[in-house]
Amino acid sequence: MKLPTRPARVTALVAIGLASVLAVSACTDNSVSTSSTGAADKTLVIDKSFDLKTSDPARAFELTGSIVDKAIYETVLDFNGSDVTKVVPGIATFEENADNTVLTLTMDGTHTFSDGTPVTADDIVFSLQRVQGIAGNPSFLLDGVTVAKVDDKTITLTSATSNPALPFILPNPSLGIVNSKVLKANGGTTGADDAAEAFLNTTSAGSGPYQLESYDVTTKVAFALNPNYAGTKPAYSRVVLENVEGPTQKINVQAGSAQVALDLNADQVQGMDSSVKVLKNASPYLIYSWYNQDPAVGAGVTDNADFVKAVRQGIDYSKLLSIAGEGSTQPGGMVPSMFLGAITSDPANVFDLTAAKASLAASGYSGEPVTFSYPNDITVNGLQMQTLAEAIQSQLKDVGITLTLAPSPISTFLDAFRAGKLQSGIMYWGPDYPDPADYLVFNPGESLGLRAGWAAGSDATVTAAADAASAASGDDARKTAYEAWQNAANATGPFIPVIQPGQYAVTTSEISTLDLNPVWTVDIADIK
Amino acid sequence: MTSPDLRDPALRDPALDAPTAGAATRLRFAAVRSRLRLPSAYRRPMAIVGFTIIALWFIVAIFVPWIAPFDPLAQQFDRLQPPGPVNWFGTDSLGRDVLSRTLYGARISLPLALILVVASAIIGSVLGAIAGYFGRAVDEVIMRVADLVFAFPTIILAMIVTAALGPSLTNAVIALLFVSWPSYARVMRSMVLGARSREYVVAGRLLGFSPFRSLQRDILPNVAAPVLVLATLDFGNAILLLSGLSFLGLGATPPTPEWGAMVADGVQNFSDWWLAAFPGLAIFTVVVAFNLVGDALRDSLDPRTAGAVQGVKI
Repeated sequence: MKLPTRPARVTALVAIGLASVLAVSACTDNSVSTSSTGAADKTLVIDKSFDLKTSDPARAFELTGSIVDKAIYETVLDFNGSDVTKVVPGIATFEENADNTVLTLTMDGTHTFSDGTPVTADDIVFSLQRVQGIAGNPSFLLDGVTVAKVDDKTITLTSATSNPALPFILPNPSLGIVNSKVLKANGGTTGADDAAEAFLNTTSAGSGPYQLESYDVTTKVAFALNPNYAGTKPAYSRVVLENVEGPTQKINVQAGSAQVALDLNADQVQGMDSSVKVLKNASPYLIYSWYNQDPAVGAGVTDNADFVKAVRQGIDYSKLLSIAGEGSTQPGGMVPSMFLGAITSDPANVFDLTAAKASLAASGYSGEPVTFSYPNDITVNGLQMQTLAEAIQSQLKDVGITLTLAPSPISTFLDAFRAGKLQSGIMYWGPDYPDPADYLVFNPGESLGLRAGWAAGSDATVTAAADAASAASGDDARKTAYEAWQNAANATGPFIPVIQPGQYAVTTSEISTLDLNPVWTVDIADIK
Repeated sequence: MTSPDLRDPALRDPALDAPTAGAATRLRFAAVRSRLRLPSAYRRPMAIVGFTIIALWFIVAIFVPWIAPFDPLAQQFDRLQPPGPVNWFGTDSLGRDVLSRTLYGARISLPLALILVVASAIIGSVLGAIAGYFGRAVDEVIMRVADLVFAFPTIILAMIVTAALGPSLTNAVIALLFVSWPSYARVMRSMVLGARSREYVVAGRLLGFSPFRSLQRDILPNVAAPVLVLATLDFGNAILLLSGLSFLGLGATPPTPEWGAMVADGVQNFSDWWLAAFPGLAIFTVVVAFNLVGDALRDSLDPRTAGAVQGVKI
């Protein structure tokens, strides 16, 4: 074969070089699309550390799954932005009967699925019954609830006992409404034999603002607009949710290759340059400390009321907030600050070293070491439990209390904690749904109460306050009752609400609106 | 050509025949110097560097309350401050002085590594000597148990043992003891196997020595050197393993200033480089120093290996 002449070879090399550059440019479609300014073809890139398992709403109960399902599916009821204290209509409006046992949903009939067919009462009944029937992770949300169609516009949800939290549960993306006809044609049922998960991981069958374009649980999920969406058209026609770890998210958002980063912690958002915006909120996760009331475990120390009081007064909450970083907050009670019934502060949980020493003296504590357990492989919104434990140990040392730290992996820790065998420690609680009823487990004889050795009947005042809160109906009455319950629990209970860590979203300057929500983290259709 | 006959008085140096008082003194000094002089293996620059670093760390470990500028547990400074005039190594995520914690770390890592190496050397050597001397069933049982331990990766087995016992430095030492004795047993067994049929051992036995006396008097002095070399080289490894367990949250319990645990803290705050860099440097210096000393010891006690390692023909 004859080689081309020298000028011909140079031309060929230049051509190959240009072709390579063009090919590489074409592969980096994010940057090309992102730079586009036309509203119709704007692409939004969001960085998230994935915990994605499935996009099937009846099976997903992970943070990433909620972001995905919130974009694809609508729910019968909804929340506005980051406010989870007030339920707003979704596909339907709602009414409850006087004793909160029957919730009636009335459809407005304007919603359509991505294939253009209208959302019907049958779709709602099928979707909710499917969540119950599959018995997956989110099925407990509808425990004891019977879903029935009344007519083409009306559905009733009947609870076995009073269930005032149900309207706050229904906006959960796991209760998204799916197209029953499409699903039934692809293996969907309302029982354990449902086989539609694989279909839903490739094709979305919802009425939400977006539909699935591509889906990979390990790398990225891409969304395209749903042309038949009944609501306001989102600002971005295409959204890519990428699986990226925290340190890389920081680099990406600063370089502009992603517009939103969702997993940066307090220390990582420090020192960000002015080209990005940092949104700081309190996380719905509650970190609490407990002191076992069972005399066999408490050994006459942690089951002493004055000792617990000394701890409450001896923890320097403001110092812990400075360690946790901006955006973190001290909840007044066990209900996180953004939920209905939350209290902003309680005089029982205020740092006062002198009062703490007096309470300790009254308790008769004589310096014996108290075992303080915590999971050492857990971080809550980037805040290490170990850091908090070491800080509390140091603060209580000033009071005169000797804590012996007992770290263990979460699996080992949970075995002993659930058995109620740990003398004291710190742990966290993430909300299953944004309602104070989710926190009634921190009561005598309830599941979390028993972990702290707080047996049924051991505190009549708190039990009565909890019963009143559980039975209250209507937002105002419930708010008052839950506040009273938390005040009572702070006065005599073994649980000390310590801190809600900060939750951060970092965006490029082109993003003007982004709301962090405790249930679905972020609604990507609302990002502008 | 024949060499000159030094017996011929005409050829002798008169000074040799009648040494002066000064020459005698010089000879005595030379003899003393020769007795005090370290073997050449210890006088290599690398060995001297190793000895110096180890000596410095032991001095730090002993006198740290007077050396460290601050209380290693006091959360008294601003959090995550970079190295500066007050806190030379910066501060950690709870506002503690990293320099003081690094210096106090020597009090944890060095004694525990020493205990670990000495205990595993004693246990391994005794079991290896018994296996090698008595042979047969005793040998089979001991060495199969050793093989069993060898079958698992060291750190994984140590993690399992520590996780079962609960995280603490004592349990970490027990776990590492469990995984590190077999290497000593193997070396000691092979040495005893070679020594037990030597004439002086057989002679001792014929004189009626008990097995214990035979092992103690005749065999042990002749096989101790390789074990001593192995122990010195193993010291750095022991520090690394202890730090590794603490790094994984299975060793030191907070707020103990242990080097491995401090490195683990630093990994959580990667942009604050000083958290992991200084305790990491402490681990590095100690491990390298013990390896240098181990090499020197091996060259001194086992010249054949030294030749093999250095390519020197003996």
